Amino acid sequence: MLQKKICMLGGFAVGKTSLVRRFVQSIFSENYLTTVGVKIDKKSVAFPDKTVDLILWDLAGEDDIGSFRVSYVRGATGLVLVVDGTRPATLAVALTLRERVEAEFGAMPFVLLFNKSDLADRWAISDGEIDELRQRGWQIYLTSALSGEHVDDAFRQLASMVAN
Amino acid sequence: MVEIARNVDPDNRALYEGIPAADHRLEALRQLLVGGEISELSRVTHLLDEPEQLAAAVGNVLPDATARASYAQLGEALAPAVERAAQRSIQKNPHTLTDILYPVFLPAIRKSIGEKIDQTFQSLNESLRHIFTWHGLKWRFEAWRTGTSFSEVVLNHSLVYRVEHVFLISRSSGLLIAHVTAENATSEDPQLISSMLSAIQDFVKDSFNEKENSGLDTIRFGELRLWSEVGPFATLVAVIRGNPPEELHEVIRDVLLRIHDESSQALERFDGDTSQLPGVETQLQTCVELQHADSKEGFPWLVVTAALLVLIAAGVWFFLSWQSGQRWQAYLSRLETQPGIVVSEQKMRGGQFYIAGLRDPLATDPQSLLSGTEVDPARVHSNWQFYQSLEPEFVLKRLTAALTPPDSVRLSVVDGRIIAAGEATTAWISRARAAAQQLSAGGPVFDISGVRDVSPEERWQAYVSRLETQPGIIVAQQNVRDGQFYITGLRDPLAADPQSLLSGTEVEPARVHASWQFYQSLEPEFVLKRLTASLYPLDTVRLSIVNDRIVAEGEAPDTWIDRARAAARQLSVGGPEFDISKVRDVSPDARAAEHWQYYVSRLEAQPGIIVAQQTARGGHFYISGLRDPLAADPQALLSGTEVDPARVHSQWQFYQSLDPKFVVKRLTASLSPPKSVRLSIVQGRIVVVGEAPAGWISRAQAAAEQLSADGVVLDVSQLRELNLAELNHLREAIQTTDIFFSSGRVVPGPEQTPVLDRLADQLKEFAENARKAGVTARFMLTGHSDTTGRETANASISAARAETVRALLNKRGVAPELLLVRGAGTFEPAVPENENSRTGNSTNRRVSVTVNLE
Ligand SMILES: Nc1nc2c(ncn2[C@@H]2O[C@H](COP(=O)(O)OP(=O)(O)O)[C@@H](O)[C@H]2O)c(=O)[nH]1
Ligand SMILES: [Mg+2]
Repeated sequence: MLQKKICMLGGFAVGKTSLVRRFVQSIFSENYLTTVGVKIDKKSVAFPDKTVDLILWDLAGEDDIGSFRVSYVRGATGLVLVVDGTRPATLAVALTLRERVEAEFGAMPFVLLFNKSDLADRWAISDGEIDELRQRGWQIYLTSALSGEHVDDAFRQLASMVAN
Repeated sequence: MVEIARNVDPDNRALYEGIPAADHRLEALRQLLVGGEISELSRVTHLLDEPEQLAAAVGNVLPDATARASYAQLGEALAPAVERAAQRSIQKNPHTLTDILYPVFLPAIRKSIGEKIDQTFQSLNESLRHIFTWHGLKWRFEAWRTGTSFSEVVLNHSLVYRVEHVFLISRSSGLLIAHVTAENATSEDPQLISSMLSAIQDFVKDSFNEKENSGLDTIRFGELRLWSEVGPFATLVAVIRGNPPEELHEVIRDVLLRIHDESSQALERFDGDTSQLPGVETQLQTCVELQHADSKEGFPWLVVTAALLVLIAAGVWFFLSWQSGQRWQAYLSRLETQPGIVVSEQKMRGGQFYIAGLRDPLATDPQSLLSGTEVDPARVHSNWQFYQSLEPEFVLKRLTAALTPPDSVRLSVVDGRIIAAGEATTAWISRARAAAQQLSAGGPVFDISGVRDVSPEERWQAYVSRLETQPGIIVAQQNVRDGQFYITGLRDPLAADPQSLLSGTEVEPARVHASWQFYQSLEPEFVLKRLTASLYPLDTVRLSIVNDRIVAEGEAPDTWIDRARAAARQLSVGGPEFDISKVRDVSPDARAAEHWQYYVSRLEAQPGIIVAQQTARGGHFYISGLRDPLAADPQALLSGTEVDPARVHSQWQFYQSLDPKFVVKRLTASLSPPKSVRLSIVQGRIVVVGEAPAGWISRAQAAAEQLSADGVVLDVSQLRELNLAELNHLREAIQTTDIFFSSGRVVPGPEQTPVLDRLADQLKEFAENARKAGVTARFMLTGHSDTTGRETANASISAARAETVRALLNKRGVAPELLLVRGAGTFEPAVPENENSRTGNSTNRRVSVTVNLE
């Protein structure tokens, strides 16, 4: 059994919970998010040589970066950074959260998701900006929790990154 | 009772020994009832006898001795053995010691003593409580029947539980390390449960500010209990159904300890791959197998207490000295990795640290390395001898200090050799060679073969070409004669100083004869510098070079702009262009004019306002034009424009704008269209849609004709005449209703109540519908009387009847302003009066209703 703890990070209402819901069938109620501040789900990702169980921690209420519980990220092997493509400010939030986590626990693999790609008419992130981030060697996906576009790809990519 | 007393206290046994058993049947009963107890209890008593003496002795002395013994004394007594053991253990593997000591740390000890005592009393109480109860008798019978001991039966009945799941959870990540389940027990995904449990523990810890090691001990949901035991790297959680005995905590703790013992490194490094921790499940399995509690023998708890007290004292001391030793070791290993420091000797005695060795003056100060190690500097006694380290980096430092290599030479350490590469003078190379020879004994190799010898001429040429690339310097002539260097040329005062450029080139300044003429370079950057110096540009202006042009951008007052313009003109010949067109004039007048223009353009954009003329003169503004009375007030538009109203002199003529918007406003005011009509503007035409009474429609048509003369289209073709058919029906019903009265009465009889009720409803409905159609309905209530009596009396009776009905209708919710009253006396009879009748015709004693539409 190979398991990896993965944390979903991103600003308020960028779609973290929706992405997890899209990717797995939950057994815990979403009430945990408001009561305990975290909801955990599991998804097994199969590769030809092994299977990785991703233990996904979806954290609530990181809108205010100050109140973000870094301690929940302890022991994580990978991050899913989520940005709302219709709100450019959420990119800065996601990157700041990553910085905080790295300062505490060191660098770890991550994928960067520009979510809500279905809202093309309200899209506010330029291709140039995304290309520039790709130049840094980052794994970037334009996802939609609504249509499911690229959601599986992104999680699979992260699974392969943490499995090694 | 005597028997029981005997059995409970041995003294009593002696006391009552003389009393013979009165009846052998009683003896038999005694054997049957409490025979097991007697042997059990006497065995326990016996066991307790000797340990008690021992424990009493130890217990009396130990607390006192521990309390009074000074640190030093206690330390001296225990030091040699403990110190050696600790050192060896630490050298072998520091984790072992941590793990051994971990259950001994204070909180755990206090807890385990408490539990021990509780547990002993609990089993004692349990047995005593059941001796005389009904259950007691039943269980006694069971014990007799099954041949087991009574206490075992008691335990079986009072402590029934089952460990259904055991989770071993990584403390750092919350990931599941292992999980075992009892037969038939089910649960949701154990991996998720494990993570969620650890999240909840984190949550509790964060929320209540709990200390690191104490997590949630127990959680209880009805029949289920979660017991968790926290270790250094992993937490063990048992899910138990039923009533577990306290001692199960200990069993769980033991298992956790054993797992830590065997695999502490693998636990610490656990990264989610459970194949790194085989065999853990087997350990956990032992927890699940513990379904029933075995009855325990009497527990020598005093001995355990004493032993634990000794352990506490030893453990605390042990921990403190181990900890400071640990810190010292950390410091030592830090020193040993420092280049230029050699530790030749070190020891630790009586809490003091001694260290001796060699250090290079260029190496880090050992004293300063102490900071951050938590070793008390006052306890460190060091003796350092200086020496010259032959480690390449130190040799490199010393060489750099001694040889001062020119800029063109780079020294570096490659594979333990010091390599010099670049270009240098013959003199420097020979000095370096001498240094290399001196070094040879034992030190690293100093390789200077990579340094090229450069002649003075070559260096001169390098200097000259460096000068030539300098902006603002033009070399006109240079030559070399008799070992002397001559150079002439032009230089801008703002360019780099040729003299200072000599340093680092190894050209001897004494042999250089230079003659420089100042000139003003026209290269843009110099021009920019000069402009900056002469124009003092304001903070609001930025000068920059764009494609060899100098561009000024920003805002400035006209005085500055004038100066800049003059400078630009002066520059023109041969120099770069100075473009000031992007500087906005922000002198107060210019700004005020700008604001004024903004105000004018705002006015011009207003519908219903036509600006005919406007000028600005002497700081005052003059404007004249036409305005529709319905247009925005030009004065009010001034606010927010920063134009001073006191300086505005305006002259407006009223006119009627033919802009459809204004026409609509005027029409709305003059025609007051009913609510069922809507006026709108469609492609510049005014269209009237809806239903209206015929009279209103003809007024609208007249207005349309008038307007067409002015070229405004008012389209009334879509107006429909109000459809009153339904209303007509209702009107008919209302107008045929009469309220009747008894002779001489002005209040209708009770039989009229339903008529009044219905009439009121009809009136309200009619009024409402009429209102919707844009007309007002009023109802005339006409009172009538019969011909009996005098005419004046009849007139007033008839009016009074109408008033009464109005009041009654009003009471039923009809608005009073819609109800008009009049008295008709006998003049409008419904039926002709019968001359011969004595009482007059009852049909004529009534109030009738007519409807008027306005
Ligand atoms: N159109 C669209 N809406 C989304 C998408 N993902 C999330 N949302 C919506 O965004 C809102 C916030 O989503 P949620 O998952 O609660 O965000 P969280 O606060 O990051 O967990 C919800 O109303 C979602 O329905 C997406 O991909 N497309
Ligand atoms: Mg959420």
